[in-house]
Amino acid sequence: MAKAHGENGILISGLRKDYRLGSTVVSALKGIDLEIARGSFVCVAGPSGSGKTTLLNMIGLVDKPTAGTVNVAGRDIQAMGERDSNRYRSTTLGFIFQTFNLLPVLNVYENIRLPLLLHKEVSKAERHERVMDLARAVGLEGHLEHKPFELSGGQRQRVAIARALVTQPLIVLADEPTANLDSLTGDEVLGLMESINAQRGTTFIFSSHDPSVMRRAGRVVRLHDGRLEAA
Amino acid sequence: MERLRLCLKNLGRHGWRTRVILLITALGAFLAFVSENLIEDVSRKQSDMFGRASLGHFRIVSKSIETANTFGYYHWESEDLLSASEVRSVKSFLAGLPEVSGSMERIVVSGIYYGDDDQEHGYTAVAMDMSAYDRDFTDLYYARGSPLTKGDGSACAASWYEYERSKSLAIGSRYVFLMPNEQGEYVDRYETVKGGIDFKTMPKSVIGLSGLYFDLDGFRSTAGYKDDVASEVVGFLADARTADKVLPKIAAFLATEHPRLKVSSWREYAPIMSEIVVGFDVMMKAVEAILIAVCVLLVVKLTTFSIIERYSEIGTMRALGFSRTDITLQFAVEGFLVIAAGAALGFVLGGIVIAVLHASGVSNNLTFFEYVIGSGFRPSFHSGKAAIVAAVFAAVAVLAPVFPALRGGALSILETLEKR
Repeated sequence: MAKAHGENGILISGLRKDYRLGSTVVSALKGIDLEIARGSFVCVAGPSGSGKTTLLNMIGLVDKPTAGTVNVAGRDIQAMGERDSNRYRSTTLGFIFQTFNLLPVLNVYENIRLPLLLHKEVSKAERHERVMDLARAVGLEGHLEHKPFELSGGQRQRVAIARALVTQPLIVLADEPTANLDSLTGDEVLGLMESINAQRGTTFIFSSHDPSVMRRAGRVVRLHDGRLEAA
Repeated sequence: MERLRLCLKNLGRHGWRTRVILLITALGAFLAFVSENLIEDVSRKQSDMFGRASLGHFRIVSKSIETANTFGYYHWESEDLLSASEVRSVKSFLAGLPEVSGSMERIVVSGIYYGDDDQEHGYTAVAMDMSAYDRDFTDLYYARGSPLTKGDGSACAASWYEYERSKSLAIGSRYVFLMPNEQGEYVDRYETVKGGIDFKTMPKSVIGLSGLYFDLDGFRSTAGYKDDVASEVVGFLADARTADKVLPKIAAFLATEHPRLKVSSWREYAPIMSEIVVGFDVMMKAVEAILIAVCVLLVVKLTTFSIIERYSEIGTMRALGFSRTDITLQFAVEGFLVIAAGAALGFVLGGIVIAVLHASGVSNNLTFFEYVIGSGFRPSFHSGKAAIVAAVFAAVAVLAPVFPALRGGALSILETLEKR
């Protein structure tokens, strides 16, 4: 399933991120070199404060590195301007958050469809089709009119997964996607991500410090104090 | 369209904030709409009054009488009276002016009355026979408080002048103050006391008078006044627009023939009237400006609150690919929608109020403001004023949310996501 990074894979070189806290400089990432092939199902593992979220933020262009580069599909994403960054996030990436981050005023259908507001090239009919396909895929076709507050945690995360996939991205970044779920629901969510990875070839990069989650990953990248332990 | 729907849904989410902004904006728009229309009506009414009636007459009095800022309530002393020869000369001159449609000598009497508060109040009165003039006078009032209309019979008054002479007045004597009753009949029911009138015997509905106008002929025939002196000669213009041409001629005549006399007219009060309207206008505009400022501050403050509350949402949307401009626009449109809705509500309410006032008319019982708006007027809808108010609120709706919206758009994705 996995392909070389040149074909939409990710190549990270010498990635470093320093934060200044007053007069102290804290290094969240201390020179990461990493290659993630397209279609991978990768878990970035490590204890709290190891740099998992920072690494995902770098790939997602949520934060800028102090040094190093992140190449996605052969492009140095850090060199992108504002417009290209927005475009990159809306076309290449999908985000799944630990706290789901659904818009409370929108129902399930509208939340899933939200990213497509930026895709004028997708017709109204196709938007509907995509949303319905994904709603079925995540088992929420019967809850389309429900608002997030009417859903369980697992259902909300499934909405978030559908929302992340609706633009058909190459990569889905998920920051501790099961951390707010019970183990059974977490398993279901991971199973869903696995099946989508298998069926659609979407690269999943998710962070976790839960051994049961790591076991489900096709590959585990371990971080400790901002350094890679094993790749 | 879908983004607009999202904005509308977000407005519903901030229920009380949306309602506060909506109400303040509606109040501001309502007041602005109504007051701007009313000011326009008052201005037109005043122009009409001055043009049609107030400027249509002039008074020739002694130079020693203070006329500035008196609004026609002059104070006469015995030595201020015009002699019979002066009256004849002046009336003869006026009769020769084609622009002057008529003239009469009037007698002014002063007195005291007791108001609702049982306090003594001074008054002045002038005798006039309205039946002699084929026109309405909206600036002249009698005891019923309504404008004199053509054909009204003469009223007459017991004379302070007479009292000053004899220093005594017998109750029930001929010194009877005749006032029209509610049927318009003149009956001697109001007896004079202390040289004035015992208004305690009068029905409350007529107590509020502050001036009475009688002509000398009527005063002579009804009250038995015999002296040939007059307080003033009043003249009328067939067309008030000729005032600029006629009054200098009269002034020149008086300077030559009667240097102790002068001509006064309501035109000297025009600037004061205008100032009253301008003052009212400024006051209402100040209220409007305060409401608009409150509205702007509320929008800025509450939009900022909304942004702080929706940090995570902003971060999520940015992560999904929405640009800074998208976020800025979303908050700006949300602010615009609520202000626009409030303003629209205010306009609709204002329109209803104007329509109701137009149907019912605005009556005025305040004597002083009779000089400004007469006894009342019918407000109308003035599209020019409405357009100006709408433009102001449109500008507020566009500009007020911009600053907080820009701040929302400028937030970094990391910062907003970390706030969750």
